[in-house]
Amino acid sequence: MKPRVETPPGTRVVASALGALPFNLLCASVLCVLAAHAPHLPAWYTAALAGLLAARWWQRRGRHRRVSGWLRLMMLVAIPVVVTLVYGTPLGQQPGAAIVCGLLVLKVLESESTRDARMAVGFACFILMSALLFDQSLGSTILVGAMLLPALATLRALEPGLPERGWLRAFRPGAVMLAASLPAALLGFLLIPRLDTPLWGSPGNGAASTGISDRMAPGDLQHLLTDNAVAMRIGFDGAPPRAAERYFRGAVLWDFDGRSWFPGVAATRRRSPVPVRILGPTVQYDVTLLPSHQHWLFALDVPIDEPDAAQMGPDHTLWSIQPINQSVHYRVASATQYRLAPEELPRAVRAAALALPDGFDPRARALAAAWRAHSGGNGAAIVRDALELFHDGGFAYDLEAPPLGRNSIDDFLFDTKTGFCEHYASAFTFLMRAAGVPARVVIGYQGGYWNDFAHYLLIRQSNAHAWSEVWLPGRGWVRVDPTAAVSRVVLAGTGAAGADVAGDGGNWWLPWQDRLDVINRWWGQTVMGFDTITQARLFRPFGIDHASAQILGIALAVVVFLALGAGALLASLRPRGKPLDALARAQLRLQRRLARLGLVRGSSEGPRDFYLRTAAALPGQALALQELASEYLALRYRCCEPPPERIRVFVRRVRQFRPRRVVK
Amino acid sequence: MPFPEGMQPDRTLQPMLSACDGESVRRDWARIRPSATCGIVHFLRESGFRHPMDQSVVTATEMPAPERGAPRHRLDAALAQVNDVLVGKNLAVRMAFACLLAGGHLLVEDVPGVGKTTLAHALAATLGLSFRRIQFTSDLLPSDIVGVSVFDRESDSFRFQPGPIFAQLLLADEINRATPKTQSALLEAMAEGQVTVDGASRALQQPFFVIATQNPLDMAGTYPLPDSQLDRFMLRIALDYPNAEAERRLLTGEDRSRMVGRLSACLTGADIQALRLQVRAVTASPALLDYVQALLAASRRHHEIRTGLSPRAGLSLLACARAWALLGDRDFVLPEDVQAVFTGVAGHRLIPSRSATREALAQALLESVAVE
Repeated sequence: MKPRVETPPGTRVVASALGALPFNLLCASVLCVLAAHAPHLPAWYTAALAGLLAARWWQRRGRHRRVSGWLRLMMLVAIPVVVTLVYGTPLGQQPGAAIVCGLLVLKVLESESTRDARMAVGFACFILMSALLFDQSLGSTILVGAMLLPALATLRALEPGLPERGWLRAFRPGAVMLAASLPAALLGFLLIPRLDTPLWGSPGNGAASTGISDRMAPGDLQHLLTDNAVAMRIGFDGAPPRAAERYFRGAVLWDFDGRSWFPGVAATRRRSPVPVRILGPTVQYDVTLLPSHQHWLFALDVPIDEPDAAQMGPDHTLWSIQPINQSVHYRVASATQYRLAPEELPRAVRAAALALPDGFDPRARALAAAWRAHSGGNGAAIVRDALELFHDGGFAYDLEAPPLGRNSIDDFLFDTKTGFCEHYASAFTFLMRAAGVPARVVIGYQGGYWNDFAHYLLIRQSNAHAWSEVWLPGRGWVRVDPTAAVSRVVLAGTGAAGADVAGDGGNWWLPWQDRLDVINRWWGQTVMGFDTITQARLFRPFGIDHASAQILGIALAVVVFLALGAGALLASLRPRGKPLDALARAQLRLQRRLARLGLVRGSSEGPRDFYLRTAAALPGQALALQELASEYLALRYRCCEPPPERIRVFVRRVRQFRPRRVVK
Repeated sequence: MPFPEGMQPDRTLQPMLSACDGESVRRDWARIRPSATCGIVHFLRESGFRHPMDQSVVTATEMPAPERGAPRHRLDAALAQVNDVLVGKNLAVRMAFACLLAGGHLLVEDVPGVGKTTLAHALAATLGLSFRRIQFTSDLLPSDIVGVSVFDRESDSFRFQPGPIFAQLLLADEINRATPKTQSALLEAMAEGQVTVDGASRALQQPFFVIATQNPLDMAGTYPLPDSQLDRFMLRIALDYPNAEAERRLLTGEDRSRMVGRLSACLTGADIQALRLQVRAVTASPALLDYVQALLAASRRHHEIRTGLSPRAGLSLLACARAWALLGDRDFVLPEDVQAVFTGVAGHRLIPSRSATREALAQALLESVAVE
């Protein structure tokens, strides 16, 4: 049999050309990388890179002319420039992902040798993993794991010994290795001490991505109301509250500048929560809140205690000291029937709840003044007047609200009369303040979908909602939902504030969707929610209340040691081939030394073929190698029982032999 | 280094290390070896210096004199003569000689016109054996091969009229054009060196060597050889198209049939018998037998092989490897010898379970078994 690699004497091994199968697999791997990053990159950018990849594939398949180095150099410069132009900065997660995806495709463009392909695959694996920085849900984790397979198959195809048409055979070792690495991954997940904040907490992945923000201007919520992503999941201790009571309080907005509402100074002023009188039974529940990058924790209206690591504001909002950058899990109690600050309103708070900017919306002010005069300052009557206006005044609920001018409230109330929750909440609160009734805006979530399979309430971003609270003497802060006056049917039906949630209505696949969401919830709570605190509690069953990093490290070492021990035991129990004799050991030693110079003997390569090859590669020592080889062959294959004295001489000579490579 | 580089006597190494395709390896060594050191070695040896290692080296000249000498020399001449006729087919010719020396029969399979019959003719002329040729056709009968008893009116008894099989070198041309029944008539002769007609066994003259040629099975009008018949051929070789250089020599050179007609015998039947005895004396060490057994075992548990190699295949493999070693001027077998003949010996005996080709399977087997 001829040796596979012929090395001319005195030269280094040159990079070998890339075959068709590894190249196709490499293209598939890179396509997977682009697919994994497609959700958070501009569609045209991904399409352009995919097109470039397809062109490269076509070029190599048809043996057309390659893209010149100058053009590649220009693309290398163009990619960061384009990304900077699109994102405004080359830094941050999304611009970074866009740049590395582009560089990867450029690498494929120039890959012609196996060495290039190996580098490209390593790079591709890294970029593939970085897709998990954007989305760590169960689905995308499994998807990214599966997308590793083409990359592993490429590595396999780059090794010799696979037929050109070995697509499927190339995939098998990678799949087996991936499956075999799962226990190690689980071990690392459980026991490697984790950081309080993620390493990749780089700037630039800020609040803009998901969730309710702490300011509200007309049209702000629009993108949320069409977003079907999960915001939080809530499991109740007893029966869930009635659909009409499912208001989850987030932020309270006090200040209005003529267009936007802000939390304002009243919210941040250090005061204890206003007293609350509980009228009915309280509700205990667990919330799993997905990352919102905000400080607000959401609780059923109105929370009466505060979870760990959060504090309650004077307006009964829950505020976390750390922004919610990872999924959090907390437990709260709420009262659905309550009186909030019924006795009196401090003067400063009253002033804040009546403050309006001057010079805006004269018509609305006039209308409010008319109501005030008509009702004689009776708050409840004014509220009724306002709700009647929304109900009978020809108002329409529509997510496609027309743009509003400088006097946004006037425009909405008297001209467009079309909008969604934030328009109504904003206009209503303005009217109340103008009519002398203390009022504020509350934003949060309303409604939700009850998962009947696992008994929890699923709140999506599309459940985002804004409503108002007015202060009435003797009744305190009363929740008024002006949107409900307009679109009562929508609110009573699916529970969402008019968003497109048609998928939640009684389809045959609904139970399966429930089950799927149960898995997602488990993933969110158990895997994503496995934080430093949960990890520290890992050894509670063994009597260790708080496992420090040292204890975790020791545990990791113990488990690894036990696993290695078990593996060694199993290996020792397996039947082994015949033990090596002195001659074989000496020959192995010689082969190891030659392997260090890159002269590796294939397991099926004949000894004479191998030594001929090594002698050709090491011309300076060809004679010494000849001697050793001929002696080995004579001892191993000529003599049926080689004399021990000759074996000893051979062993000694092998020990003294030092192969050296002389590079020309 | 324990002693100066180049201390090793150079003459002894070359034949020992020479590879299956001798030319290229000799070229390699010639390139590697610095000529100056040869002088030193020569000087040291001439002055009676012998290193302890020196005794370990097997020299070709140390082989017992009676076994070497004339037949060996004439064998080289025979090889050269056949190679002259079949341009660029050194490996196939060497295989044919290995098969002859190992005492087996040869199956040559390829498309028409690549020199199958020429090889047989050249061998016959060179070996100096009595030669008969049978052109197999679909209406050929067994009695056409082994002979028939005819009634002799003068002696008032049946007299056996021997068929063409009573020769030393039999060319069974296009063997797969005959029906299986006729093909089987060769079985006894090939396995036992005798034919039985009308209850009387008649021994064939030794050496008896069958060269069968067959066209690839996908050609029209062919009957595939039964597996049992295939197993009786020690080696199967393919000739393949010549390379450009060889083809040019073929086109510009003399007419092959005229060349064959001019060939003179280089070997005698007695020489061949003597060489066959030498082949049997070639050493196969325990390590080599381990390797052969490992190959056989691997063929029997490979998942793509329905039927692995038989013990007869194992014997053929070892015999062929021995002959190959002898052709390499060595008196012991190396794993490389086994590897060189493995595809020829095992290729036609492996029955694949899937669509894999037999040659690819043989190659895969070789690559799956480790060599010591």
